[in-house]
Amino acid sequence: MRLYEYEGKEMFKQYGIPVPRGIVVNTGEQARQAAVSIGKQVVVKSQILGGGRGKAGGIRVAETPKEAEEIAQQQLGMELMGYKVNELLVEEKLDIENEIYMGVTIDDVSGMPIAIVSAKGGIAIEEVARENPESIASSLVDPMYGLRGYEAINLVSQTRMTGKALASASSILCQLYKVFESYDMRITEINPLVITTEGRLVAADSRCEIDDHSLFRHPELEKVAVDRIQDFWEREGAKAGANYVGLGGNIAVMANGAGLAMSLLDMIDYKGGHAGCFLETGGGLSRERMKKGVGLLLRKAKSDPRIKVILVMARMMMSPPDAVAEGFMEAVNEVKVAIPLVAVMRGRESYQKRARELLKGTGIKLYLSVEEGVNEAVRIAAK
Amino acid sequence: MAIFANKDTKVLVQGITGNFGAKQTELMLEYGTKIIAGVTPGKGGQKQFDIPVYDSVRQAVANHDIDASLIFVPAPFVQDAAFEAIDAGIPFMVILTDWVPLHDELRVKAYAKRSNTRYIGPNCPGMIIPGETSLGLISGSAVTPGSVGIVSRSGTLIDEVAQQLTEQGIGQSIIIGIGGDPVVGTRTVEVLQLLREDKQTEVVLIVGEIGGVMEEEVAEYIGDKKFTKPVAAFIAGRTAPRGKRMGHAGAIVMGDRGTTESKIGAFSRVGVPVAKTLSEIPSLLRGMI
Repeated sequence: MRLYEYEGKEMFKQYGIPVPRGIVVNTGEQARQAAVSIGKQVVVKSQILGGGRGKAGGIRVAETPKEAEEIAQQQLGMELMGYKVNELLVEEKLDIENEIYMGVTIDDVSGMPIAIVSAKGGIAIEEVARENPESIASSLVDPMYGLRGYEAINLVSQTRMTGKALASASSILCQLYKVFESYDMRITEINPLVITTEGRLVAADSRCEIDDHSLFRHPELEKVAVDRIQDFWEREGAKAGANYVGLGGNIAVMANGAGLAMSLLDMIDYKGGHAGCFLETGGGLSRERMKKGVGLLLRKAKSDPRIKVILVMARMMMSPPDAVAEGFMEAVNEVKVAIPLVAVMRGRESYQKRARELLKGTGIKLYLSVEEGVNEAVRIAAK
Repeated sequence: MAIFANKDTKVLVQGITGNFGAKQTELMLEYGTKIIAGVTPGKGGQKQFDIPVYDSVRQAVANHDIDASLIFVPAPFVQDAAFEAIDAGIPFMVILTDWVPLHDELRVKAYAKRSNTRYIGPNCPGMIIPGETSLGLISGSAVTPGSVGIVSRSGTLIDEVAQQLTEQGIGQSIIIGIGGDPVVGTRTVEVLQLLREDKQTEVVLIVGEIGGVMEEEVAEYIGDKKFTKPVAAFIAGRTAPRGKRMGHAGAIVMGDRGTTESKIGAFSRVGVPVAKTLSEIPSLLRGMI
């Protein structure tokens, strides 16, 4: 789950990382008042969950409270990088001497946290990574102990920072690691970490993403997680405990397990078909998951005339066939829609036999192999 | 002996009385797995399918020689269960549970490394050595003994691939699902390092997918001539929509790796044939056996 800039900054503040004075607003009038209370030039920043908002006009400087109000009125309700802007962060404008980069994430190969620092931060950080990788320093962190003070000093000093900036940056990095750990994050990033003309270090932005599997430990965030998904069907997918992805073609696909779902999509493409969307339910299928998953695709087909056929692949490893077949039929009986259904029910011999028995005569086209099922779905969709 | 386990491997099940653990224990017993003890805190002294249940791993270890522990406990308790097995000196674990919190996975990995405990998972189907033993969820009737070793990150996909091979008369030496999460106990390349010495395995099939750099690592290992058995591959996700970006940090760590193009390219450069579709895997392998 990705967090808004201001949410990340709240967490930074809790852990003693300096952030600019700022106020979250959702009307022009509030933006004006915020600028008055900050008492100097402000930056009006659109709060969206995607990157690149600066270049798209989502971050603007206001010289006066009146200007802050005008900018706010323009930004609120506007579509930015595919997201609707509902909230703005009005912040004091920093006097920037330098911008550095700081982040903590997971290193894939070692399976350990990795802390990353660059003396050159800002929007060009990825260019820096490609062209001057030596200007970026990183260090693996032992998750049993966290990032120790001296490790942070050693890391930050590799970026040639010295003196007070070195000490402040190292202590901020240690605190950033604590945010990363305490909030179960996949990524925690400050870009840029501004060094002001007075020599203060301030986190001018935040980029935080919490591990979805850990949301139960953060109930206040768990409550808002699903509503934060913008796309209606993706949100419905999340409510059903599944992953929905819209693709634009005419075959709606459901499968349990991400690898299996992707293999199916690849095969559809290889056979000349076009997947319209796919729903991945996770490996274990229960009656409930099956019902919600199939039900979702049936509702999607009902509302979207482009969908010509639904292809369901159920790999019953740990899922009893009776539950799977019953969940399937409950969905079909509940959401009435005239659309061809193709199903591939696979698993140990006894499971697949039983599932096919239960679904026989229901109008669902049952296939014995993945390839036959895909061929049939592609054939129907091409009609 | 095959790698990780064989028909004599004595197994403990943590979470043996839960829905998930009990059902899978029953299926593994059917397959012939030597499950000799179980653990569920608060249910010590009871029996599950005639198997003694203990309150803690320590008590189980005091009463039995245990070679491997299978962890089926609910996600919030996985970290504790893994620490417990490691502290009790169990040398090999399979963590089957999915939705394990990421930072718990990081800690389990670090803790296991310290005591040299090998594990696979979490969020994995475990492994099966056809005709010998099953440590996990892979469908016993979908597999048959033979010479192909399969390694995959995906659970249901590896189960499907194994069944397709079985239906085409191609037997398997070991099928191992290492888990689909970002932090797993054993990476694909580490399984390959072990399969090098495995006499039953003559050909290896890597069932990979988009994301991460495991397949690139494997290709590098093969390119260094460290693995001389024939290898074939399949990569799922060629047409998957681009994943959401993981911020700059992700791009800095990963660079351009992780895409299907990167993986297929890496395999092609070291002469590993890549099946175009799921259904092409059996015929590709048939030509290599």
